[in-house]
Amino acid sequence: MNKILKNGLGLLILGVVAYNSVYFKKLDEVKKGNGKNTLDAKVYANSFYQDKILKNVDKSIEINELTNKLKTNPEETFKQYAHSLGIGNIRYFLVKATGKVTKINENTIDIEVDGKPYSVATEFIFGNAVRDASGIITMTTFENTMDFNNVSSELNEIIRNKVVPDLKKKATLGSQISLIGAIELNQKHLKLNEIEVIPVFLSDK
Amino acid sequence: MKNYLFLILLVFGCQPKTTDTSPKKVAVIISTLNNPWFVVLAEAASAKAKELGYEAKIFDSQNNTALETDHFDNAIASGYDAVLFNPTDADGSVVNVKKAKEAGVAVFCIDREVNSADAATSQILSDNYSGCVSIGKYFVETMNKKGKYVELLGLVGDNNTWNRSKGFHSVVDKFPDLKMVAQQSADFDRNKGLEVMESILQAHPDITAVFCGNDAMAMGAFQALISSGKANQVKVFGFDGADDVLSSIKSKKISATCLQFPKLMAQTAAIFADEYFKGKRDFPKKMPVAVELVSQKNIADYE
Repeated sequence: MNKILKNGLGLLILGVVAYNSVYFKKLDEVKKGNGKNTLDAKVYANSFYQDKILKNVDKSIEINELTNKLKTNPEETFKQYAHSLGIGNIRYFLVKATGKVTKINENTIDIEVDGKPYSVATEFIFGNAVRDASGIITMTTFENTMDFNNVSSELNEIIRNKVVPDLKKKATLGSQISLIGAIELNQKHLKLNEIEVIPVFLSDK
Repeated sequence: MKNYLFLILLVFGCQPKTTDTSPKKVAVIISTLNNPWFVVLAEAASAKAKELGYEAKIFDSQNNTALETDHFDNAIASGYDAVLFNPTDADGSVVNVKKAKEAGVAVFCIDREVNSADAATSQILSDNYSGCVSIGKYFVETMNKKGKYVELLGLVGDNNTWNRSKGFHSVVDKFPDLKMVAQQSADFDRNKGLEVMESILQAHPDITAVFCGNDAMAMGAFQALISSGKANQVKVFGFDGADDVLSSIKSKKISATCLQFPKLMAQTAAIFADEYFKGKRDFPKKMPVAVELVSQKNIADYE
């Protein structure tokens, strides 16, 4: 009887030790674990949008003032107001605009700001305009190429899911809208008649 | 006598040390000079380094990682102070960059990256992802958000291949009526682009667009489309801004490409090396260089 008890106890102890010695994890979880040091683009984009972009909207320039400056002194205006994480001709501006809705299209809403027409994007919310226009973000924040691409992509998701639906609701034909937006311009091939504003934030006035 | 000796030592021994006034040396190590694209990179980097007052020499790795290792060994042994580097292999070249770093030689990668976050002082690279976001946007617009298409990928082991593909799909995949019916590699090669496109067309004769990860494949795909009589049915999109593709955009054969700026990348690497010699240390690990969408809408700007 004692022998049976001893063997049983021994087997139990062996079982407990064996059970605690081996762990099974899903491969997906392991991969996620290995990526601990990579940036969580969604979390970063959310906090960047709330804590940085929205708190720095006063850095925006009125859109007609910007286009006038670009006409008279493009080089200096780019130097003073344009931003970009990278180098090259593509630069971004943070603008503010208050205008009357003149047309609602499939991909854009046309507005008139003191007689000058602009398009506000409602469908093609892509690219780096929202990320770069404020000039707050710097390249040294990122170690991986995909990190800064993913942040752009997540910021655009925020605009697509939060800002655009509100804009579409408010922007009825003939109504007045005010917004903070981001625009992309090519410094070398400047086209002021093709400006498309990506809405960043809808303001009350 | 002892006093004379002391005097001689005092006079000659206390002369100030002659400082080394020879210019710093910059090695330009390039994956291959058998391709005009990389020749432009090499010459632009070398010329800018010389313009900044440094001695510069170009080394051709002939797409051979072993030869590249020899060049690094020689550059380190010969007292080069910085390397402007276009790697042969994103993984295989890491060891060379690390070796240089250990020897106190700063390395600045141009156009192609190495898969290491901290080996190179900085990596100056085309913003492939963002370029393909703009191509993707133009693709969706010209396709009116619907249709079947195929994608020709570059070398599957190359980071540029996937950055381009991811950028494109980050846009196009948001439009469910655009359906990718085939995705195959043609190794960035014109002849392979032709062959792969021929076989794809047999299986999917009803496609209306092809997105290619570079212009060489786009030209190959376009040739296949001409042979099959589908050049007017299928829109072709490339990447690079090669001269033959720019003229094909002008003659409405190719829809669009993205123009890269090899000279700007190479010159920036030389400027970074100059700043490094002058004491700067906080370089961005990756410095993206904007690429520009060239389409039938704006081709006049790029003639």
